[in-house]
Amino acid sequence: GDPQNLKCVTHNLQEMVCTWDVSSRGRRGQTDFCYTTNDLTPQVCFKTKERRVEMPLPESSSRVTIKSSGTSFPTKEFVIHKKDISFVPVTPRILSLTPDFSTSTLNLKWSDNGSVFPYGLDALWQIQILRKETMEEVTKVIYYSKLTHEDVILSWNWTSDMPLECTSHCVKIRCYINATQFLGPKDWSDWSPAEVIPGKDSEPGGSGVFPLDTVVAVGSDVTFCCVHEEDQHITNMTYGSKPYKMIQLSSRSHAIRVLNASASDTSGTNVVCHLENGMDGTVVFVGYAPDIPQNLSCETSNFFIIKCTWKPGRPSGLYGERKTKYSLFERMSGKNVSCEVNEMNRDRTCGFPVLPDQKTYDFILGVSNPIGQAQSSILVDITQRVHPKTPEKLSVTGSNSTSIQMRWFINGSFAGIWLLCQIEVSSGHSEKKLHNVSMPGGKSSTYTAQVKSLRPYTKYQFRVRCSSADHFWKWSDWSRGVEQTTAEAP
Amino acid sequence: MAAADSPSAALRRRDLCSRGIRLAGKMRVDVIDLLDAYVERQGLDVSSLDSSVAAVEGVPLAAVERWDEQTGTQRLLENLAAYRAFRALLAQMLEEQREQLGEADAGLGRALASVLLQVSAFAYHLEELLRLESRGVPGEEEEEEGEEEEDRPPPPPRLSIFEQKLRGLGVLRELAQWAVRSARDLRQLSKPSPATGTA
Repeated sequence: GDPQNLKCVTHNLQEMVCTWDVSSRGRRGQTDFCYTTNDLTPQVCFKTKERRVEMPLPESSSRVTIKSSGTSFPTKEFVIHKKDISFVPVTPRILSLTPDFSTSTLNLKWSDNGSVFPYGLDALWQIQILRKETMEEVTKVIYYSKLTHEDVILSWNWTSDMPLECTSHCVKIRCYINATQFLGPKDWSDWSPAEVIPGKDSEPGGSGVFPLDTVVAVGSDVTFCCVHEEDQHITNMTYGSKPYKMIQLSSRSHAIRVLNASASDTSGTNVVCHLENGMDGTVVFVGYAPDIPQNLSCETSNFFIIKCTWKPGRPSGLYGERKTKYSLFERMSGKNVSCEVNEMNRDRTCGFPVLPDQKTYDFILGVSNPIGQAQSSILVDITQRVHPKTPEKLSVTGSNSTSIQMRWFINGSFAGIWLLCQIEVSSGHSEKKLHNVSMPGGKSSTYTAQVKSLRPYTKYQFRVRCSSADHFWKWSDWSRGVEQTTAEAP
Repeated sequence: MAAADSPSAALRRRDLCSRGIRLAGKMRVDVIDLLDAYVERQGLDVSSLDSSVAAVEGVPLAAVERWDEQTGTQRLLENLAAYRAFRALLAQMLEEQREQLGEADAGLGRALASVLLQVSAFAYHLEELLRLESRGVPGEEEEEEGEEEEDRPPPPPRLSIFEQKLRGLGVLRELAQWAVRSARDLRQLSKPSPATGTA
């Protein structure tokens, strides 16, 4: 028959595929096909039974002659101009579709097939996600990349608004290459074959309520689904104790959508799927990400342990294995300490060992729970953050009519700093007097002092507290009192 | 039972039985209080749960057929096996409770620990009664030794949190029933009639 409707398409901007129709039906015989891309190159001819031929993409135009071999039909000549050739990229190939059920995320990997294209072309990838038994479109997104004349594996993540177990998810991809230099019409490639991640509802005997034992932030919108066996019938689904309107995903899977979830009780919120003969359920813990720790402060009482304290801010509402965890990281030494914290009491403390030959500490207090994390930092010179323990075993070691010698013990190693101690002297109704005395710090040692200018034969009460003399930070608490009467005047 | 009850043995048994009955009564009251707190703290809607909590795997059922035909020793042995099972189940519940709630619900933890203590005490009491019947007390190791390493059933799969909640409910409900049954069994045992004799 008479060749007509010659159409040419290029998939890679290098070759093109031309196809044509033949006017009459008749037996499909051989065809003599010749082409020449320009006047300088010799004509190329060959025979073919197909109505489809691959040939180089012309610089500007190609001259094609098609003749049905052995027939009286005349040779038909065509001139294909570059602007008449359309560009449709090769259908992309999905390399892998990997589900992460714990985060309801799909990871898609495909090759951009860039090696066949010149460097630097912009490529658009349209990714379509379908769901449910009816394969409804959930989303269609465009991913942009630049071709580099090499085959690059591209990767893209998508987080579903419902657990992947709920029903089957399917992904397809197609591409469009913005070859600005190409004169002819440009179009999207075909869709790739679909890749499917089967849900539990297509698994024989698969059942359960999902997500299983998850943690979400207050205010989240969460979809829960109930997958049940073939022969079961679902009656309703409750969140907390409130029934919710069900969405059917498939014959074995129904879902409910909870909007703006509020904080759950300590034992979590039950999501129950009531079936005709039985039930299934899961628990969701709705809480808060940890607040940034407030008023972080670190001090030492003995130069053995540095104690950091902070205010936790808003309670997370998460307990047990989901509770907020704290760790103290010291940047200079690289040492990290995890802190044991009781979620129920308000003040938080964490101990960090004093390191040999290190005075300055650059702390980062890290706070994390399944919903989020936060941190606070503080740079502290511990010699300027000394808060001694309460002086102990205060005792009088000697006295006469006008003076008293006394001794006390402070737990801690204060060698290297001076201590300032204050002795409170009181007697009867007279005004309390404070007697300041400085002394070199010792290594868990006993300290002595003398109080003079006392009145003879008078009963006095004494107590002592200490602090760092070099850089005052905090007084220790007062020691227990001790009582002594001065001797009679000689 | 002992071949022929000596007066002191009969007196001792009656004393053990009456103390056991009081223990069972106290345990029941505490279990019911714990059950109420448990249901409320675990956010369980009891009205909609009945069908699923009927029989929870591993929880000894208090209901028994032909109760009145049981011998004294059978009663004691069944009671002992049950309370040993409850001791293990409650210990697991306590562990899970600490894991899930930590310090957040110390009250529930204390109530659970208290019931566990009473169950342990009651099991010991039953062993006393069995010894009084000069009947060997089945050691728990024997129960386990009977199983070769390979026969021992694999540890049960870890339950989801919701399943843990349901099982806890099933355990406490059944324990409350057992406390009633145990009191009846001990009353039966403390009667001097021959029915209390061994087979």
